[in-house]
Amino acid sequence: MTAEAAQNLNAVSFDLEGEFARSNVQQVLDKLDRELVGLAPVKQRIREIAALLLVDKARRALGLENEPPTLHMSFTGNPGTGKTTVALRMAEILKNLGYIRQGHLISVTRDDLVGQYIGHTAPKTREVIKKAMGGVLFIDEAYYLYKPENERDYGQEAIEILLQVMENNRDDLVVILAGYANRMEVFFQSNPGFRSRIAHHLDFPDYSEGELFAIAKLMVAAQHYVLSPGAEKVLKDYIPRRMKMAHFANARSMRNALDRAKLRQANRLFERKDRTKLTRADLTTIEAEDLLQSRVFQG
Amino acid sequence: MAKPEIGKGQLTGAERYKAGVIEYKRMGYWQPDYVPKETDVLALFRITPQPGVDPEEAAAAVAGESSTATWTVVWTDRLTAADLYRAKAYRIDKVPNSPDQFFAYIAYDMDLFEPDSIANLTASIIGNVFGFKAVKGLRLEDMRIPVAYLKTFQGPPTGVMVERERLDKYGRPLLGATTKPKLGLSGRNYGRVVYEALKGGLDFTKDDENINSQPFMHWRDRFLYCMEAVNRANAATAEVKGHYLNVTAGTHDEMIERAEFAKELGSVIIMIDLVLGYTSIQTISKWARKNDMILHLHRAGNSTYSRQKNHGMNFRVICKWMRMAGVDHIHAGTVVGKLEGDPLMVKGFYDTLLQPHTPVAPELGFFFEQHWASLKKVMPVASGGIHAGQMHQLLHYLGEDVVLQFGGGTIGHPDGIQAGAEANRVALESMVQARNEGVDYMAKGPEILAKAARFCKPLQHALDTWKHITFNYESTDTPDYSPQVTPAR
Amino acid sequence: MHENPRNMTQGTFSFLPPLTDDQIKAQIAYAIKMGWAINVEYTDDPHPRNTYWEMWCQPMFDTKDPAAAFMEVQECRKVYGNMYIKVNAYDNTRWRESVALSFIVNRPKHEPGFHVIRQEANSRAMHYTLHSYATEKPRGDRYK
Repeated sequence: MTAEAAQNLNAVSFDLEGEFARSNVQQVLDKLDRELVGLAPVKQRIREIAALLLVDKARRALGLENEPPTLHMSFTGNPGTGKTTVALRMAEILKNLGYIRQGHLISVTRDDLVGQYIGHTAPKTREVIKKAMGGVLFIDEAYYLYKPENERDYGQEAIEILLQVMENNRDDLVVILAGYANRMEVFFQSNPGFRSRIAHHLDFPDYSEGELFAIAKLMVAAQHYVLSPGAEKVLKDYIPRRMKMAHFANARSMRNALDRAKLRQANRLFERKDRTKLTRADLTTIEAEDLLQSRVFQG
Repeated sequence: MAKPEIGKGQLTGAERYKAGVIEYKRMGYWQPDYVPKETDVLALFRITPQPGVDPEEAAAAVAGESSTATWTVVWTDRLTAADLYRAKAYRIDKVPNSPDQFFAYIAYDMDLFEPDSIANLTASIIGNVFGFKAVKGLRLEDMRIPVAYLKTFQGPPTGVMVERERLDKYGRPLLGATTKPKLGLSGRNYGRVVYEALKGGLDFTKDDENINSQPFMHWRDRFLYCMEAVNRANAATAEVKGHYLNVTAGTHDEMIERAEFAKELGSVIIMIDLVLGYTSIQTISKWARKNDMILHLHRAGNSTYSRQKNHGMNFRVICKWMRMAGVDHIHAGTVVGKLEGDPLMVKGFYDTLLQPHTPVAPELGFFFEQHWASLKKVMPVASGGIHAGQMHQLLHYLGEDVVLQFGGGTIGHPDGIQAGAEANRVALESMVQARNEGVDYMAKGPEILAKAARFCKPLQHALDTWKHITFNYESTDTPDYSPQVTPAR
Repeated sequence: MHENPRNMTQGTFSFLPPLTDDQIKAQIAYAIKMGWAINVEYTDDPHPRNTYWEMWCQPMFDTKDPAAAFMEVQECRKVYGNMYIKVNAYDNTRWRESVALSFIVNRPKHEPGFHVIRQEANSRAMHYTLHSYATEKPRGDRYK
């Protein structure tokens, strides 16, 4: 045992409160609350993970723990449910608590990891891993790495390197695998190595109608627009219709809808006869008609 | 081109050229409205006028005597574009805390100077003027060499980065030692010192400035024994090492002959003394570029004219000229050693040698902004009374691009020369390691050295031997502007 | 007779005891902080004029943490543990554009070193060649 460890054993108390305050984790959680509407179960899980890591730190300070904890995670949920944003904040929390050294997030998909020909994949995967070291590697739609229908798929090579690094470099890198819940489940069944290396599973629920409305309002405000009362009414009507359609992607669908509304607003303003005298209100207000032209309301 | 501005009280036309003696400032050498051109050579002089001579007239006189003027009016001026060729004093500042002195800014048109000739540049700027009676003291403090003129010079034959690549030595200052005793060793004994020091861990050894070809050791003997020593040390360490073979000689031809022999023996570096003169320096610099030879310059003689604050020239200007003339190494002060060197002044010298651009910085003695065009960097050499115990200070003040030369600090080691060399190398590497690890090495220097001495006995003995050695004398050449202003003595 | 600790002392830290893994990582971290690219190279021909050691992998320009380059050091050690391995840090700023730091991170167990071959010429002039004992064997058989 090192002298330092021996000294730790003699330590009798640990200031959890002080450590928490110093880590600024509360600030990160607050930021997450401001950024993301709803997601109560996810936020709860993050709080729990932060508490666990804090206690782990305390236990190590008192010599009760030696092994670094496994921190690899899986984020499951439909598109647009806030996985990337939460991953960014998770990186921040891990950095603040001293579990990763740099705190950056590298977000990749299969194409960034898997090559096109023999000998291409390993260097590609290693390149990505090296860039992510000291931070978090976020692999979106991780199940695309595994293609059982093709025996010679190079994805398998990337998987093997990832598994090795997740085991051997636990101090250097946290891997977050993300994607649809059901497909991730299949992926884990075929690749038990991943499941055993993942410590925390976070499930991201779809947003409710009300949450989506609140998200849209936040987005509008952030871009210095306002919805006219009429437009608000139309948006409330729009959301359940959009949810039932194909390719619905939660918050991302809200962003797309607003982007298209902005486009229509611009066109509308441009076609006005009095366009030499536009007011501040003209430039910021999204009207009902800007939303009503959406294909959601056609047919 | 716009006509130069005419100063107040200046005479023009026939009045100006009437035979007789008129004040310099009325002849056009004082032009307070003159705006220097980008292509002008600028000089800053510290002037101590004779009693009764007003500063403007003194400045104009310096401008005149360092360019076109003579003591009396000559009509032949009128055969030339004299307004252009006349140097112009355009600004005078009082020297802080020295009421009898003034800084005079003088601009010279580029056409006054021959391209690629330090000899010609200096024959004007420090030619007759320093003996001129109207000034009691005169010192050239700084110069701005325009890029257009700089581009006519070759500059250092090798430069810091190429030198490092040739030697395969990166990330730390280089280490050297001057062979001691300076005089009297036979070639065979001399080579022994070289072998021991290089094998022990130094990168370079060096001839002293006054080792040429004397009765006790002729130059060929020295070259042969030194190169045997260098090659044996290379084999012992798998490093590229060198001995600065001093090729200074009585004539040009002799100097080149020595350089050629150094080349034949495979030396990576030769050495010259500043007393060679500017023409010889430029000659051997071109030879060095052509023959892939690093060129070390010992500043022998400079303190004769650079040390006193009221007369002569600042060493910083020598640094500028030598970067233009083209040397790869130049001795430029140690801050902590036995030779003159205020920390800020030394920083000014080092910046002059190493930076691509230096802004105006009065505390470093930079009165002008200087762009170095593409002239390579010169490696400063710190030599004289330094030892392993000062390693943290040396690294802090002098940085990484420097040759630290421990002559006595290697050869005077109680356990022998190899042990002395090893002590220096271990001290240096452990200090660089600590610096890179983010340790406050200036504060913890002695601690770092003590720790390294635990695995390196020679370092322990070096620290024990020289622990009390410091050279705390006040510098004579100090900056005139902050943080501490010392009057000129 | 006083002997050098080693007979191959290239690199910035060859006179120190072999760097520990943490010390190697600290130097890599410094290089990253300075914005330098990092390269791992190996050779079985440590002649000082052998400028081009083999590159173990592509130079690392965008890594944020020393663990990345260190992982390559470890991998290289696994394959070429009987050779010299060094870490180079490269600074691409104008007026440097060259190696800024270079240090040995692995050595062969046995280092036979070099000797001098002399060719006598006229008037006592001598032409010197450095010869590595290890290179008497072909590549792959050295330092075994």
